[in-house]
Amino acid sequence: MLAEILPEVSDAQLERFFQVMLTQYGMDFREYAPASLKRRIGSVMRRYGLTDADTLIQRLVTQPEYFERFLNEITVSTTELFRDPSMWVALRVQVLPQFVSLPQLRIWQAGVSTGEEALSLAILLSETGLYEKAQIIATDIDKRSLEQAAKVSYPLRQRALYEQNFYAVLPGVPFSRYAEEKEGQLVFDPQLLRNVQFLPHNLVMDSPFGQFELVMCRNVLIYFTPSLQDRVVTKLVDSLVPGGVLVIGTKESLFWCQAAKRLTGVNEAERIYRKRA
Amino acid sequence: MSTPKRPFLWLMGGSAGSFTPVRRFVQQVPYLEEVAIVLCLHRMRNPRVGMIEAFGQVERWKLLEPDDKAAVQGGHIYLAPADYHLLVEEEGYMSLSVEEPVHYSRPSIDVLFESVVRARWPYAGAALLSGANRDGAAGLHLMHQAGHFTAVQDLTDAEIPTMPQAALDLFEPTRRFRAAELVQVFLHAVSLYK
Repeated sequence: MLAEILPEVSDAQLERFFQVMLTQYGMDFREYAPASLKRRIGSVMRRYGLTDADTLIQRLVTQPEYFERFLNEITVSTTELFRDPSMWVALRVQVLPQFVSLPQLRIWQAGVSTGEEALSLAILLSETGLYEKAQIIATDIDKRSLEQAAKVSYPLRQRALYEQNFYAVLPGVPFSRYAEEKEGQLVFDPQLLRNVQFLPHNLVMDSPFGQFELVMCRNVLIYFTPSLQDRVVTKLVDSLVPGGVLVIGTKESLFWCQAAKRLTGVNEAERIYRKRA
Repeated sequence: MSTPKRPFLWLMGGSAGSFTPVRRFVQQVPYLEEVAIVLCLHRMRNPRVGMIEAFGQVERWKLLEPDDKAAVQGGHIYLAPADYHLLVEEEGYMSLSVEEPVHYSRPSIDVLFESVVRARWPYAGAALLSGANRDGAAGLHLMHQAGHFTAVQDLTDAEIPTMPQAALDLFEPTRRFRAAELVQVFLHAVSLYK
């Protein structure tokens, strides 16, 4: 086997994996886009020096304590502060002004991973004077990522990228207003999380849980098949108040989704949509 | 359930020194409605800034950066978007992913090539061009082992031969080529599957 190529997972092994995850842990991976899911499983196997997916499946059956770590490892946690700066600029210019006259601002960020999406939004709301009336529910399937998010502490090597994105969105605002270097880490002001609640939530299995003025779910749908995307987008749209705003990932599409009929484009290039009243 | 007809898939991977030959290829390649082309080029992560435009005028082919889950269609040239891996799925569409870079690269050529093999795509071929790292070599080898047509840029012709050399260290491809022969190599690969 070549070092660069991940161990293969056969269709039969994938089927057994689905069964174990569903029956033992209540997690349904059957409609995850297979190419990436197989890569993720393969990458966990390589990390543990396993060459046969059956060994991994057996470990998941016999060692429930292993599950949480495994879930953390197959979940794609790639994120950054103000990822896709032009989307955040569009959000600030085209969307946030509509919230100024509202008494409260309820926001759901689905798939927040290690928290940078939530921090980005909290900073933007602070700078636009909307933070105090905002309630942000930030969810992810992976509890370990959420624990990380609550620490507001990130590797210092991220600083250059985060700072660059920050200034692209908020030119003239000092980065130091929100983040500082502390003990070799880049640490954000914990006050930014005052109105943020981190909760575990599985977009595939769990019901929507409220009505929101803004729902953001970026780079989560890409891991789902078209039919699952359709169901998840329906949940997201159901969670919006009429006139509420949905933001998805820059390369994600609503092409397959019935619920797209209930939306109009605010800025289609940035994948920002409004629910029809 | 019958499998819908899949277009012949022609993949091209490259990094430093590959853009000029790939651009020339895109401008010269004759239109074939039964062929889809996917380009995976290492590029700056700043998205949506002029990469498509940099290819200049393209006759008949539709050249675009695909959205997630776009169907693989003949007559199209797809450019893997900056900062996303592009994977081909067995169901006939493309998935994007932001999982870890491979060989410091996202999009990664290995990830694309490997996905085509894993998706058991019936007809495919791939070319690996100039570049300064090893990305693509192992994936191309996997394609070769799966019986697909593989081509590697001649070391004396590649501006930076590290990437083709990495492939040649692993196996002897179906064909070695000079950049000026790319269209010819492509047409030969397509002709094998007709």
